[in-house]
Amino acid sequence: MYIEFFGIPRQRAGIPKLEVHADTLGQLLGTLVRQMPPFGEFITADRLHSEFLANLNGDQFISDPATRLVDDDCVIILSADAGG
Amino acid sequence: MPFGYHGSYLRIDVSNGTAENIPVAEAILRQFIGGSGLGVKLLLDEGAAVLDPLAPEAPLVFAFSPLVGSPLTTSAKFAVVSKSPLTERINDSLASSGFAIAGKRCGCDAIVIVGRAPDLSVLVIDGADAEGVSSRPKIRVETALEYSGATCQETEIGLKARLGAGYRVASIGAGGEHLVRYATISHDGRHAGRGGSGAVLGAKNIKAIALRGKQRAEWAHPGELTAISKSLSKRSFGPATAKYRELGTATNLLTFNRFGALPTRNFQSGTFDEAASLSAEGLSTTRSRVRESCVNCTIGCEHIYSLGTSGVRIEYESLFALGSLCGVGDADAVLRASQRCDQLGIDTISTGGTIAFAMECVERGWLDEPWLTFGSGDALLRAIDLIGSRKGIGDLLAEGSRRAAHEIGHDSIVFAPQVKGLEIPGYEPRALQTMALGFAVGARGADHNRSGAYEVDFSDKVDRRHVTLDAVQYAIDTEDKAALMDSLIICKFLRGVFDDFHAEAAEILRSVTGWDVSADELRETAKRIVAAKRQFNLLAGWTPAEDTLPQRFLNAPLPNDPEASLTGEKLGALVAEYHRQRAW
Repeated sequence: MYIEFFGIPRQRAGIPKLEVHADTLGQLLGTLVRQMPPFGEFITADRLHSEFLANLNGDQFISDPATRLVDDDCVIILSADAGG
Repeated sequence: MPFGYHGSYLRIDVSNGTAENIPVAEAILRQFIGGSGLGVKLLLDEGAAVLDPLAPEAPLVFAFSPLVGSPLTTSAKFAVVSKSPLTERINDSLASSGFAIAGKRCGCDAIVIVGRAPDLSVLVIDGADAEGVSSRPKIRVETALEYSGATCQETEIGLKARLGAGYRVASIGAGGEHLVRYATISHDGRHAGRGGSGAVLGAKNIKAIALRGKQRAEWAHPGELTAISKSLSKRSFGPATAKYRELGTATNLLTFNRFGALPTRNFQSGTFDEAASLSAEGLSTTRSRVRESCVNCTIGCEHIYSLGTSGVRIEYESLFALGSLCGVGDADAVLRASQRCDQLGIDTISTGGTIAFAMECVERGWLDEPWLTFGSGDALLRAIDLIGSRKGIGDLLAEGSRRAAHEIGHDSIVFAPQVKGLEIPGYEPRALQTMALGFAVGARGADHNRSGAYEVDFSDKVDRRHVTLDAVQYAIDTEDKAALMDSLIICKFLRGVFDDFHAEAAEILRSVTGWDVSADELRETAKRIVAAKRQFNLLAGWTPAEDTLPQRFLNAPLPNDPEASLTGEKLGALVAEYHRQRAW
């Protein structure tokens, strides 16, 4: 599966997309911190801080670390403030 | 007189240069605070709802707030409130910086302008010599004929040189002079942009307002205010504002494109193939960028991109409206278009929306302007100049998409991208359906600054493409919050830094005014302000049929995203529930 980054998360990641393997959102965020340690600043107890959001496949926004993921999922991590 | 206020407003008739100081009761100030709230209340008292907004007797209000002049970050803001010449409904638009501080130092909480000067003029309000609470600034109406056709920036620079130090200037461009119905009022490169307040000022033959003053309102609890200000400033450097500070709103473009919510080719699509070239990320790779702030702001959201030898301030709304909405992916053309709108003093959203609408009419063969095609940067720039001068097709497009549709006929009103006449900002309603409700019921028309309902769509509170009646309360909450922020006035880009906005806002207002105000009182105040806007609209002729979206959004799902479907029945149910919860 892929993580796609938008806004500040993309700037912090330095790349638009990252391939990872995880069974849950919590695992995915843990993997993200291991591969990109600066993200540790934005994740506590397997949850994103309020300034970031996670979305599954462009559909539902998700926050529960136990949310199940499958191989062809795409988790989008974006800045929470969508306004302009 | 309450702390934080001067307790009066200045009413100026520019027909003859006369002015009077009119007291405002403390109870009224507490009920409407300032900014948008106070402006709407003054307009209601003036009977503006039933007037032609471009008539001499129609009032235009510049409203300050109790926080202006305080050390609170982002508080240097003012509201411009009038009946809109575009929508014929209430219009409140906000801008920032030194004009707000100088205006309040003239010893008033608002300035109400009526009348019509005989020739193009500048209204000079000189409060620098005024002493004491009852003194009134000197008022002059001087010729500004030499600035006829000048850009906002040229006018501001010229008048500062002519009048001397200390003056702050708000001006209109050629768009306002030619009564383009979505002309802006500009100050220091920023615009009170939406709804055509620039045309209202233009109709009064006022090219600019120049003011200076030295009266200060006292704070009730200066020590407490200083502590709150320091805390807020510190938090404003944190992660909640990082997006605005580091990337600017332009970063929304790629995000919205990913979610199929980026209005493209007059809302015929929610994705744009050339989005990357217009994105903040794309622009930053090819251009230099500097950051600027409004006076007294610690966020610094303004990102100025290089354009030839000059620079242009870029926001998401301008990129979407002049870019994807018109199908233009040439970044240079879009930046030039945004710069040209700023120079002419016309709203980028309404400009792009009206041009995109015209491009679709040309595509359908309903408008005989074959050069005006989607994707053409040259056509975009040509159309903008024609609008600013009201020449050729520009005369029609200067009327906005709703009036243009009525003129063009062929049922083109179905896809005129507007609500109540105000062009829709960069949020595809079918993909963001809580926002669709916010657009439909908005007092000033389709607007993202008076309803932050998109925040609900970008959350786990709703399913953005399948919203239910549960979304209505959330939409109301965002509308109420916006009304409060616009009346206090605090920049909405700060909203993420508050843990409990209403409680902290009450603390701020208490420290400034000394009032024993609570969070619950502010919630009621917000509802009162929203209701006052509705009252204005009712007097102006509002009917329930106005609270809807163009048929384009209700007839078919978004192409390439069948789940993004919003029927008339569904929107009608949301609107009816909104009215029920508002008890309207």
